[in-house]
Amino acid sequence: MPDNAAMDWQAAKVSLTLAVLTAALLLPPSLLLARWLAVTGSRAKPWVEALLMLPLLLPPTVVGFYVLTTLGPASPVGAWLATHTRLQLVFSFEGLLLASLLVNVPFMVQPIQRTLSSIAPSVREAAWVGGLSPWRTFMLIELPLAWPGVLAGVALTAAHTLGEFGVVLMVGGSIPGQTKTLSIAIYDRVQAFDNTGAHVMALVLVACSLAALVAVFRTSPARRNH
Amino acid sequence: MSTPAPRTHAYNLHVALRCTAPVPLQAEFDCAAGELLALVGPSGSGKTTLLRAVAGLYQPPGLSGQITLRAAETEHIWFDSQRSIALAPQARHVGLVFQQYALFPHLSALKNIAVCAPNHWSKHQIQGQAMALLERLGLASLAQRLPHQLSGGQQQRVALARALVRIVPLPSDGAQVAGLAAHPPGVLLLDEPFSAVDAPMRQVLYRALAQLHSSLHLPIVLVTHDLAEARRLADKVVIVDGGATLQSGPPEWVLRSPRNARVAQLVGIHNHFASQFYTATGADPGMAHAGPDSANTSPGMGRLRWGQHDLHAQDKGKIDNATEVTWVLAGGSVQVLSPEAAQPAPAAALSNNAHHQNAPQDKAPQGSAPLDNYLPCQLIEMLPLGEICVCKLAVTGAPPGDEVTLNLSTALLRSMQAQVGCALVLHIPPEALHIMPVREILAAESAVGTPL
Repeated sequence: MPDNAAMDWQAAKVSLTLAVLTAALLLPPSLLLARWLAVTGSRAKPWVEALLMLPLLLPPTVVGFYVLTTLGPASPVGAWLATHTRLQLVFSFEGLLLASLLVNVPFMVQPIQRTLSSIAPSVREAAWVGGLSPWRTFMLIELPLAWPGVLAGVALTAAHTLGEFGVVLMVGGSIPGQTKTLSIAIYDRVQAFDNTGAHVMALVLVACSLAALVAVFRTSPARRNH
Repeated sequence: MSTPAPRTHAYNLHVALRCTAPVPLQAEFDCAAGELLALVGPSGSGKTTLLRAVAGLYQPPGLSGQITLRAAETEHIWFDSQRSIALAPQARHVGLVFQQYALFPHLSALKNIAVCAPNHWSKHQIQGQAMALLERLGLASLAQRLPHQLSGGQQQRVALARALVRIVPLPSDGAQVAGLAAHPPGVLLLDEPFSAVDAPMRQVLYRALAQLHSSLHLPIVLVTHDLAEARRLADKVVIVDGGATLQSGPPEWVLRSPRNARVAQLVGIHNHFASQFYTATGADPGMAHAGPDSANTSPGMGRLRWGQHDLHAQDKGKIDNATEVTWVLAGGSVQVLSPEAAQPAPAAALSNNAHHQNAPQDKAPQGSAPLDNYLPCQLIEMLPLGEICVCKLAVTGAPPGDEVTLNLSTALLRSMQAQVGCALVLHIPPEALHIMPVREILAAESAVGTPL
């Protein structure tokens, strides 16, 4: 890698791809999960919610460690995947994506769940009595009303993925062009006493995160106590 | 399971539901097309739950019974626990107006209505009908407004239009069989629709509902806690308490003849008391207790022992001799007189247990009948409310705590120079006493049935 390149474009590309894919793949299941959590009276709800929130509290290294041990080549799952699908989930972009999906679940689900819960039950019922099937009710009534939450979820997930460090390092290693993200590139630059390069990339991350947060707060000023 | 009924046929919403948990229900009522039925009861009495059950929004596992729309030859079954039929809300033809409107906040007034229109209508038909309904409710100029840009009363009317779009057939449907098949009969349900609007708007909405009522041939079920509202709007009231329907019938009749003490209490009758009733022919075990001799000889006239008084009361032959009863004083038929105007009644009342039959007719107050009751009393509280004054009267010789509350005309009180503490006379014709047997409320409520 050229010594004086201020910006590691390769790492930026990995980071951006990871962010976009994480948000895109996480959105559909998160919508369903959030919809279920928003209306369910199930006794399992607090357990599911706690499980979903866990990645927020655990050190990313713990999540990374468990991904490594459950999906690494030494694990039964990893071994099965290696023989049957040639899919290697450790020190690969796919593995990185999987870990990223796991740690981002709360960032995506929480805001969507909150906006869906804030829809009065009678609005949903009015739609049913009005002849709208549950699916049409979701598409025509609930989703448009939950739009600020969806946007917040996507923005927070993307920004958080760009900034993720611990899990990325644990699961992905730092393979240029594959698993080396911007946040790891910054770490490398600092290790190499290249503060200028670190500054440039750090600023890019700060700008991205700020932009995401502004987007979140502009759509829904009331929902900032994440 | 259901075949279309020609719209010209009268049909009838029949509801009979039972449930033990989570909300106990024991309800039965019928509402014919063109009839406006009010479910009346205090908060938490289960009237909204009943309405939700009709709409299909409340279907707990233990719910049993039937909800059907019956015409002469056909029957649309919405719910039948025995036949395991329970249609989803989408499959019932219900227009439901929610208490807080429940408009879709991101859609314009027009779209709120259009989105609930039947699926098989063309876009053109949907637009036309939605607009027609808005026009009908005087909202045509506000079609493009979002709910938050509308006042409470306007939102309410949009909610009404949205409910109607499900159940009012397209004008072009006419009497064509195809159109009718596509538009089976529906029911309009209104959940406390007037509770969240101010008084002037309420008057406007009352008028709108009255117009709908006269122009739509649909069963309309209105939930309200306001008896005056029910009285004003409904053809039939159903008194609901603890999930059970206690009594149903025309409002005036229910108010005049509450089926039992609980109904009397629920319909806001203050003057209900407990006493013993003696039939026209029955023996009086308390003969030592001076009673009216002539009462026993008056056909159809029983007696009600109230403290030291024996009151003449109508004996319809439905209550046994010497039965504990609850009775209600129908305030509208009771008069208050000054002691002078009632002369010589007060003297008789004081000395002869309120029986006035010996008084010469020419001296009796105007409009009185020989068996009318005259009771001396004292005015103990006056609460002036403009033209009307709520008065509490303590009847001399009545059991302690039995006070009579009456709404009296302020002008009348002024003309009598009545003040707190002054003596007055209550003139109670026998027909003003409505007598009900004392029963355990739940035992009495096994069915909504005939009056006693």
